[in-house]
Amino acid sequence: MLAQRIALWAAGAAVIIALPLVLGEGYHLHLVIMATIFAIMAAGLDITVGFGGLLSLGHAAFFGIGAYTSALLYLHFGVPMWGGLFGGAAMAALAAFLLGTLILKIRGHRFVITTVAFAEIARLVAYNWTDLTRGQRGLPGILPPVVHIPGLGTIDFVSKTAFFYVTAVIAVISIGVAWRIAHSPMGRGFVALRENENLAESVGIDARWYAILAFTIGAFFGGIGGSLYAHYVSFVGPDLFYFSYTTIFLVMVVTGGKGTIVGPVIGAFAFTLLPEYLRVANEFRLVFFGAILVVVMLFFPNGLYELWLRVKRRSRPRPSSAAEPTDA
Amino acid sequence: MLEALPQIFFNGVLVGASYALIAMGLTVIFGLMNIANFAHGQFYMMGGFLAFYLTTELSLNFFLALPAAVAIVVAFGILLDRTVFKRLRGKPLISSVLVTIGLAILLENLALVLWGPRPAAIPNPLSPDPVQIGPIFTTEPRLFAVGVTVVVIALVHTLLHHTRTGKAMRATFQQQEAAALSGINIDRLYSLAFGVGAGLAALGGVLLGAIFYVNPSMGGVATLKAFIVTILGGMGSFVGAIVGGLLLGLAESFGTLWSSAYKDAIGFVLVILILLYRPDGLFRKV
Amino acid sequence: MIHKFQERISGAALAAVFGVAMSSGALAADIVVGGIYPLTGPVAYDGATKHNGAKLAVEEVNASGGVLGGKFVLKVEDGACNPAQSVSAAEKLITQTKVVAILGAFCSSSSGAVMEVAKKYKIPHMTGVSTSQDLTRQGNPWFFRATGTSALLGQAFGPTIVKAGAKRVAFLVVNDDWGRAVASSYAKSIKAAGAKVVATEIFSRDDTDLFPYITKIKTRNPDVVISASNTQLAANVTKQLRQLGVKSTLMGEGAFTSEAYRKLVGKLALGVVGLVEYIPSIDSAKNKAFVKKYKSRFKEEPSKFSAAGYHAVHILAAAIKRAGSTNSEKLRQALLRTDYAGLTGNFKFAANGQAYNFNVFMAKNVAGGLQVVGVGTIPKP
Repeated sequence: MLAQRIALWAAGAAVIIALPLVLGEGYHLHLVIMATIFAIMAAGLDITVGFGGLLSLGHAAFFGIGAYTSALLYLHFGVPMWGGLFGGAAMAALAAFLLGTLILKIRGHRFVITTVAFAEIARLVAYNWTDLTRGQRGLPGILPPVVHIPGLGTIDFVSKTAFFYVTAVIAVISIGVAWRIAHSPMGRGFVALRENENLAESVGIDARWYAILAFTIGAFFGGIGGSLYAHYVSFVGPDLFYFSYTTIFLVMVVTGGKGTIVGPVIGAFAFTLLPEYLRVANEFRLVFFGAILVVVMLFFPNGLYELWLRVKRRSRPRPSSAAEPTDA
Repeated sequence: MLEALPQIFFNGVLVGASYALIAMGLTVIFGLMNIANFAHGQFYMMGGFLAFYLTTELSLNFFLALPAAVAIVVAFGILLDRTVFKRLRGKPLISSVLVTIGLAILLENLALVLWGPRPAAIPNPLSPDPVQIGPIFTTEPRLFAVGVTVVVIALVHTLLHHTRTGKAMRATFQQQEAAALSGINIDRLYSLAFGVGAGLAALGGVLLGAIFYVNPSMGGVATLKAFIVTILGGMGSFVGAIVGGLLLGLAESFGTLWSSAYKDAIGFVLVILILLYRPDGLFRKV
Repeated sequence: MIHKFQERISGAALAAVFGVAMSSGALAADIVVGGIYPLTGPVAYDGATKHNGAKLAVEEVNASGGVLGGKFVLKVEDGACNPAQSVSAAEKLITQTKVVAILGAFCSSSSGAVMEVAKKYKIPHMTGVSTSQDLTRQGNPWFFRATGTSALLGQAFGPTIVKAGAKRVAFLVVNDDWGRAVASSYAKSIKAAGAKVVATEIFSRDDTDLFPYITKIKTRNPDVVISASNTQLAANVTKQLRQLGVKSTLMGEGAFTSEAYRKLVGKLALGVVGLVEYIPSIDSAKNKAFVKKYKSRFKEEPSKFSAAGYHAVHILAAAIKRAGSTNSEKLRQALLRTDYAGLTGNFKFAANGQAYNFNVFMAKNVAGGLQVVGVGTIPKP
């Protein structure tokens, strides 16, 4: 068993190392980098939505807060991306914590609308508080870091290959952490909260506190993603708060397979690449996208990951390991 | 400034009435059938575009195109319920959220492909010239919109409280099993309710398209406002949708005096406040 | 024996393929330029007119012999006025299609994002539409702007507006960079010329009902209302201003003179003054020819975006010819030496990439068309 896991990790590492060398410094690597950033966010959002059962329709807010915080730290204080990551994630988590503390005595659809309202307010602030955010003009010139290693020379992370490696490492760590959280007692607490709140309370789980925690953790990862985005694209604007970003994050989580961590990561890649490859359809691009979304959600509500597991199960007579999604 | 108060008030009433109309449909769909319909604004958009198509391509009289457009959307709503939303009944909220978001993207972009992005005003025999009533300036299409909204609200109220179908509907939404046991065809009622909800939104689209214009992206904002009003007024309450709509319209109109850039934030802040102190909204279910 | 035969066949095949590959290299002397326009989204209509103008220019360039002995090809990707999407489009054009220069991306925030990509790859990037002042203030040597900014227009028009009799001016602008820039730069030059600014109302692009804002303006009794909006909003502004009984003269940057606008507002257009960089009725031989060709090809009059798309392509083609190669640095230097006779005057570029020296017009809507009631020249920044 251990040998198999080591082999799997080695294979994964090999793929990550080889990918930029195979794809080159262009468009395809660009898409992979974007997908990786979104994968980090999707894994975090899965904790909130998939495990905690909290339907957050304002996740773009944390993406945006992370991006703007990181950008402002860089532009005003010269804080490089490494610090910006923590700054952005912390700010996003703080915002979620405050909002959650205020709001999370109510759940269900009312919570949903509150998250929508919050993201919209954040967008309006980003758009109108021009002294801080420059409004619609956005904040340009957020450069990726340049690292001087004594003896080895300089790595400028403006190179896509370098940025990809860094992002991949951060992704592995983040997704790993998300996985650990999901499978820890806290994670089981989230599931308990999701499945039967009264029952959870009766065994001593403070539902409101767990909800706040799940919400905050998701936001933390959202902030990481936002910060990475800011330094990669070098430009942030109020468009990051748009509902369309919230939608795509949610789509990634749910169609990938919520409550599995792995599913949303798959979803992130699928739904970063899909809209780009649908460009061939020209003006029908988004029509197809909407249709695909409807069909997938109607017929595969548990996502692609479950589909893949089902296929895998059918090809082997033995029942598979404990890595199955709970029926949500 | 004081002399403008009547105008500001009337501005708010008009906007509020249109919010109420669109929200009335959503309060049924969301409040009673538990479908978070993020495509609701697209019904509003469809109503407007259909009316535009009927009046320009088929040269139909505006006063005929209006009910025709609404009827088509009602039929479309019923069809949608039979095919898509039936499968969502009983499913968790997240399913209806994502399916309707997908639907919204599909419908909006289909409209974009079919009609192009150019905004279009619905031609109508009502005059766009200013009409002055005391200190208030308005126009015929605006007065028409308010008038129709009032009539429709009265109609819906009568239907709900004084017809068998209406009573059956209310019974179904209050106690689904009991209603089914007493022989009421649940499925048919749900479809009808959905259709009517869609139709009300479509009516809003036609009325507003005659005052301003229609364009394929107009659905998104409408959906957002509809949700705000629905939550504000109380999910499932018609009275709530009407009062909530007027409240939001007036708040935005008076809010412009203070800050025009943050006008839209008013609705969002109101929603958060209401949810904190009166989570059920202002009124209870129908 | 069969072995040898197969060897010879495969050898011949290889030679044939190789030969074709070599010669097709010689034939592929097309000069490919990338264009990022909003083909979908809220400004898709205006984006399409810009694309049309560009298409016309491309045809003209090729009809007069192409560039550097080859065809001038414009490869277009949809940026949808969304920064992230425009960046993806830029990446695709530069790294996959291997364009020698980028045109676009219409909206200032998208152009701002694309600018960074162009700088990264050291490829010249020109916009004919984005007016945010910021873009030429970032010290990006690869960026060129073949249009004015509201600041420059404000400087050019402010005194003329006051001279025409304006004493109390109100602003009704869209809440974006452009609207805010108009409100601030025109306000500055109008105040400097001695008039008062009595109200500044900023509405959101999604707002259809402008009565709340206009009600506020009305209480201040302006004699001129200045607006900045594109077609749909311009029509809205005009109609609702009159519906609320506001009698002030309406002036505006944006779509206050286009055919689409006049069709939408009908007789309400009379007396409205557009503050424009281009109108189809500009009286020059070059413009008359352009309008005629555009109308017969696209069945409608060209918009200012058509002219912008047209200018950008011609300026770029001329620069490539002047550079004598597609080398990025040579092309950049050649662009700086631009002296292009366009539809509205001669375009030159300042060191920061900002175009100047061309004319701008105050065009009043009159029965039957537009009448130029004032001309300004964009000063060197």
